[in-house]
Amino acid sequence: MTSIVHAKGLEKSFGRFRALKGVDLDIPRGAISGLIGPNGAGKTTTLKALIGLCDVQGELEVAGQDPRRARHKLMEEVCFIADVGILPRWLRVNQLLDYVAAVHPRFDRGRAEQFLASTDIPPNKRIKELSKGMITQLHLAVVMAIDVRLLVLDEPTLGLDIVYRKEFYDRLLNDFYDGDRTIIISTHQVEEIEALLSHLVFINKGEIVLNTQMSELEIRYSELIVQSDKMAEAEALGPIYQRKTLGKHCLTFEDVPREKLQPLGEVITPSVADLFVAKMRQDRVLGEAAATGEAGHE
Amino acid sequence: MNNFSVRQFAMLLKRELLEHTTLFFYAPVILAALIFLFTAWVLHMLPGDELAIAIEYVAVAFDGLSPRDMAPLFMSLSIPFTLVFSICAVVYLLSTLYQDRKDSSVLFWHSMPVSDLRTVLSKLVALIVVAPLFYIAVLFVLYLLGIGWMTLLGFNYDIAVAGLAYLLMAALLSLLLVYCSMVISGLWLFPTVGWLLLFSAFARRAPLMWAVGVFMLLLFLEDFVFGSQFLANWIESRSNPGQYIVFDIADLLPRLFNYDMLFGIAVGSILVGGAVVMRRFTD
Repeated sequence: MTSIVHAKGLEKSFGRFRALKGVDLDIPRGAISGLIGPNGAGKTTTLKALIGLCDVQGELEVAGQDPRRARHKLMEEVCFIADVGILPRWLRVNQLLDYVAAVHPRFDRGRAEQFLASTDIPPNKRIKELSKGMITQLHLAVVMAIDVRLLVLDEPTLGLDIVYRKEFYDRLLNDFYDGDRTIIISTHQVEEIEALLSHLVFINKGEIVLNTQMSELEIRYSELIVQSDKMAEAEALGPIYQRKTLGKHCLTFEDVPREKLQPLGEVITPSVADLFVAKMRQDRVLGEAAATGEAGHE
Repeated sequence: MNNFSVRQFAMLLKRELLEHTTLFFYAPVILAALIFLFTAWVLHMLPGDELAIAIEYVAVAFDGLSPRDMAPLFMSLSIPFTLVFSICAVVYLLSTLYQDRKDSSVLFWHSMPVSDLRTVLSKLVALIVVAPLFYIAVLFVLYLLGIGWMTLLGFNYDIAVAGLAYLLMAALLSLLLVYCSMVISGLWLFPTVGWLLLFSAFARRAPLMWAVGVFMLLLFLEDFVFGSQFLANWIESRSNPGQYIVFDIADLLPRLFNYDMLFGIAVGSILVGGAVVMRRFTD
């Protein structure tokens, strides 16, 4: 499977703050990839770099092009929906369709109108008169009517109620994704997209801390609900994270064979949310250890 | 340029006009309405004999003049329009690249396959070439009302105010001259256009303060460091409206093709280039 996104050593600083610290990222064509990270981790900067909205250093190729050189050419192949309502608020719905029809060679106006017909969005309304949910529906209708190879979504459902959020992802899967197109989604609401993902990327403090296919997740990661008398044995296997739920101890392991864990309790595959917390804690502990080590050497 | 390119650029121009209808359309319409109402009120208040004197005065002023000679007289009515247009142009230039970033819609515009150079060019063409056409159209309606009023009053008081055809020809010629003057002033003031666009693309807030503040700082620094006033003198040497207003069609080519004009366009182009680069990466 070839990559639609290839990034190597991406660096970006805002003054003294290093937003990206050598990000390496390869996303295969046809993947639905989740870019997950806490606030300020570098998700939006990474996504903006992919579509040429942010000048970064390093190797970068998206859909065979360098986004820094020819953003407008790349945008014939890539679409983008951001977390905030970015549609121009002064435009009317039909003026928006007129605009995209005139400037985008791959836009199918009939298809967008067909999508809009199934919503409550009036074509003559100004965008500022629509609710946030309607604005997202409208943007999605526009994007789904564009024949692109890559769709980049930056917190697309932030601030929407559950009905709109569910409808958004249903439409994305049923009407946009065809197995050939690639979707990159950054979101906080990991649980909602977990079932859609084929690829998972965790980013923290400007560094990629996990980059894996979902199918590899259950091979590499396990969660052990440990029997209380086997706690010491389980801890000896080096869990990356421990938590207590309803009086039971849950330990998350990385690259530990399940055969070793099974005698110690119930072994399950961690959810993306639990794995995310585990990796963020591991990252923090490693960071603190490194800092202590450095301080010790001084 | 292929058909798609032309259609795309036409839509970019339309986008500018739709977004700035207040500056490009309502402003001249409101101004024309105010002029019309004020004139109607003055005429209503004027006693009949003074009205006849006024008509007589106009008739004498136009007597024996060709449409070409009359055109500059008609142009005097365009002064408030060009003043309002200048104010609207400054507001437009300062807000056009700033507002997109303020409301985050720049992310949407950037998600379309349109280059920043093309976007900025469309803004310049919309301002310098297209917007004056709206002002001219409104001015034309005002001219027609004025000519109709003069002709009717002329009949009423039995005073012949030039010929109707002559007046119409003078009005059309004057509109052409006003349009040329507006376009040429846009080109002559291209360094100012570029400077304002640059800060519209750069400023995180208050682009006017930035544009004026940095300019004042440059003037001060030049004076303080080099003890010279080259910048101030250069601007002063270009600030005479006589350098860009076209009173006769024969003035057109000399106004367009001279060293000062081309140098100003070159300076403005560098500043516009800066605005394009800023537009690429600021949000």
